[in-house]
Amino acid sequence: MLLGIDVGGTSTDGVLICDGCLEKSVKKQHRGDLTESILKVLDELLEGREAVKVQRLVISTTLVTNLLATRNGARTALILIPGRGLPFSFYRIAPDTYFLKGSIDFRGNITEETPQEDILAAIEDIKTKGIRHIAVAAKFSHRNRSLEQEVARAIRERCPEAMVTLGSETADRLNFPRRAATAYYSAMTAPQWNEFASCVEEAVRQRGLAAPVEILKADGGTMPLEVSRQRPLETAYSGPAASTMGAVALSPRRENAVMIDIGGTTSDIALLIEGEPLHASRGACIDGCFTHINALALRSMALGGDSALQAREGRLEISAKRLGPAACFGGPAPTVTDAFNCYHSLALGDAARSQAALAGLAASLHMAPQELAAAVVEQVLSRLQALIEGMFREWENEPAYKVWEIVHRRKFKLERLIGIGGAAEMIVPQLAKRMGVPFTVHRLSPVANALGAAVARPTLSLHLYADTQQKRFVIDQEGIEGTIPNPATFQLADAEALALEQLARLAEEKGAGCYAKESRVELAEQFNMIRGWSRVGKIFQVRVQIAPGLIKEFKGVGA
Amino acid sequence: MKPTGLLFFPAFDWAISPTHPEREERLLYTRDQIFEEGIMDLPQIREYQPRLASASDIARIHFCVPSIERLATEAHLVSAGGALVIGDAFMKGEIKNGFAIIRPPGHHAMTVAHGNRGFCNINNEAIMIEYLRRKYGLHRIAIVDTDVHHGDGTQEIFYHDPDVLFISFHQDGRTLYPGSGFVEELGWPPAWGTTINIPLAPYTTDEGILYAVDSLILPLLEEFQPELVINSAGQDNHYSDPLANMNFSAGGYAELNRRIAPHIAVLEGGYSVETALPYINLALIMAMAGIDSSNLREPDYERRAFRESPDNMERLKRIATLQLENFRRREEMQADLKKKHGDFFSTYRRIYYDTDNISENQEIRLRLCDRCCSYRVIDSAAAHAMGESYRVLCFSISLYSCPDCQQEAREAYRHSLERFLGHYDFIYLQDRAADEYLCFDCSGFEERGIGGRMPGEGED
Ligand SMILES: [Zn+2]
Ligand SMILES: [Zn+2]
Repeated sequence: MLLGIDVGGTSTDGVLICDGCLEKSVKKQHRGDLTESILKVLDELLEGREAVKVQRLVISTTLVTNLLATRNGARTALILIPGRGLPFSFYRIAPDTYFLKGSIDFRGNITEETPQEDILAAIEDIKTKGIRHIAVAAKFSHRNRSLEQEVARAIRERCPEAMVTLGSETADRLNFPRRAATAYYSAMTAPQWNEFASCVEEAVRQRGLAAPVEILKADGGTMPLEVSRQRPLETAYSGPAASTMGAVALSPRRENAVMIDIGGTTSDIALLIEGEPLHASRGACIDGCFTHINALALRSMALGGDSALQAREGRLEISAKRLGPAACFGGPAPTVTDAFNCYHSLALGDAARSQAALAGLAASLHMAPQELAAAVVEQVLSRLQALIEGMFREWENEPAYKVWEIVHRRKFKLERLIGIGGAAEMIVPQLAKRMGVPFTVHRLSPVANALGAAVARPTLSLHLYADTQQKRFVIDQEGIEGTIPNPATFQLADAEALALEQLARLAEEKGAGCYAKESRVELAEQFNMIRGWSRVGKIFQVRVQIAPGLIKEFKGVGA
Repeated sequence: MKPTGLLFFPAFDWAISPTHPEREERLLYTRDQIFEEGIMDLPQIREYQPRLASASDIARIHFCVPSIERLATEAHLVSAGGALVIGDAFMKGEIKNGFAIIRPPGHHAMTVAHGNRGFCNINNEAIMIEYLRRKYGLHRIAIVDTDVHHGDGTQEIFYHDPDVLFISFHQDGRTLYPGSGFVEELGWPPAWGTTINIPLAPYTTDEGILYAVDSLILPLLEEFQPELVINSAGQDNHYSDPLANMNFSAGGYAELNRRIAPHIAVLEGGYSVETALPYINLALIMAMAGIDSSNLREPDYERRAFRESPDNMERLKRIATLQLENFRRREEMQADLKKKHGDFFSTYRRIYYDTDNISENQEIRLRLCDRCCSYRVIDSAAAHAMGESYRVLCFSISLYSCPDCQQEAREAYRHSLERFLGHYDFIYLQDRAADEYLCFDCSGFEERGIGGRMPGEGED
């Protein structure tokens, strides 16, 4: 038995999958707090079943997303060591920010130490303010974490009760402001996430579940509940990831597809490249700050089945607002649904009411009702198509830094639309016809989100930076660093092997060992370092990952 | 406020040779620095992606021997295309100014291009300038070449053109490649005084260079009133550059760009890849975007404590006075010289291609016209390194030539096809006024057009 629970905007959804069949699904409107709704759904799913037979439980929750939106995290101090570069006034991330001297360069050389007395002064001030959560981030700390570690050591000594989050442990890749924001928001959301994690652990134990509990991340993969305590921020924005992985589960071909989730008033779009969801190149944006959180690339538009139709200055307008359900379902005004209902004779609800509502609006626009319906359908389809094609273009024009990549610009070749959400069945077939591609709107698409959570597999990635002149490598997760034993003969293949080996080890630790052999190299760069006219070393950068996908246990659900 | 456009194209898969200064590693640390700073996330910055320059974009400037395909590799097309993208973004008003951090560089490439000179095959700035003039109808353009090497390619391309003011400061040609760029090089008769060279003594510091900016470059720009100012932005004046001997700093580069305020900057040389380029590139971006750069210094800058010598300041003062005088009497001199030379001005030159070891001999004939910038005829012969040798005849008609000059040049081209075929391997026609570029292959007895025409203004 596989369980998936997804906390959405208005309801919490759950599914129970057994032997490739959806055995049960549950939808509960939110009441009380999040943890309570999750446990209610869990109990309903388990009703009349043996909890011990559950193989896996995955939860996708909005806890961290909500904390960030309402700014309700713990008060957190941010200690920054920016060194030379942009003015410090550019780092407006946290109200309680402390700037320390100290500087690291791009190769991880310390070019200026952080004076001990400055560290202590900052810690004293943080203590007096009563702040107990501290994030520390230095520029280039992913190449050398010693300045951050020195601050952490001092905090542990002087203020042992404080919780410390380091930039070098929360974020890989270049980009100091994103690293600082990631560390800050991680520190800020950690206490409440930990409370939640403990609560779930306890509840699962009480119910006799022996299965591992996993949390869905923004990148469409999962991580063990225990690991999430170190990386709470990755649980934010998992909602779209759940829906997208649901789309993957319902159309598990390795195609270039568009997932289109059309709800009451919004449409979300994600791209699948050969069946794998595309990640945003910039990382999630929180409160105007970009972070290193790996989230899916998503485009949204305020347009859905319940979007109201209006006349505005004598012209048709599809409003961003919802006035109620569609007229055919007893709503007060004509909606997008009513227009499709009439134009394509879908016989939804009371079709006569769709006709009547449209006729009223058509009269005020001096149009025939059928003409109005056609105009609405055309506008909806063309806006969705433009949104989708805009996303293709963005992907095709992603920054490229090699001649080969510019000369051979990639092109998105769409093979399928996968529709989910309430209004997908009505709109996606027409959109697919217009764009000349096949489509899937699976009968289980209403529970695609919880299904996606249930069957998403773990993801894991790491970035290796190796410098043979300095004879060292760093892996910018988990604080792993080491020496290169054979710098003179170390080649790109060795760097890739080293990165994959480290990934396999981490995967084993994180309960994703069985996916380690599916890990692959995402980026492999090597540069000869020439000084004078001879080579003094090489720099390698390798990123490896276990990409989002479906768990082995899932063999698909029938059509 | 409009953003600053930034196009970063480090060509991580291109090198002249594995240990050459123009190698993959050149912009590696610059990439690390600007991405670690999060520059691309700033609202002040808009990132652009390069495209490939077309054959006609290149043929508008160069006569590539034996062919564009042989001379301009894909890397060169992308690099030049990067400059075009930034030029378009500026002209369309999307950005307040723009910086193309591109390689391979271009400022040593001349009108006739037989091979690589000073790491350059095709001239990115010149290609961009002629493209922008064609597409947007610009006339007056100023180039300030801030590379430590004399921008001899750019100088030569516009040496006959009074509408392009070319200013170059560089380490004195007696002490550094390419050995030119002296104060006497002022332009051919119709453009005398619109080439201004500022040879600098080795070890000139921020103070000296900024003095030259204030006392000479800024007054020149002020009086010339260009529609577009371009910084041919080399970074090898830096005190740590391995190929030159100057004492300029990243802070100096930032200040220079703040004062000159170029609309477009295009990266040229700069080979201190680790200790200078990351800081200079960042400094330049910050200066162009109006960001305070006082927190940006090389890690070892304070220890250096550079001081300018009083002698050098005196020398700079003399150069500034002399060159301002030359510039201010340019129109009078141009008229005198044109009168003296009559219908044609002609001269001989020898050009050496260091990288590809090619020697070229040129005879240049310049048609002098009172109404326009007319046309050039270049007869060029060169022995290439692989043993081939080529002799080519090139007709270059200016964009704003008068119809009479245009017709005369086209007739001269046709005439040469009838009479001189046996002397040449290729005869070229570069008719910028018609945006038509032809190459006649004398051995194959075949004329072919190069590239397609550019759509007019407003089309795209
Ligand atoms: Zn140079
Ligand atoms: Zn004329």
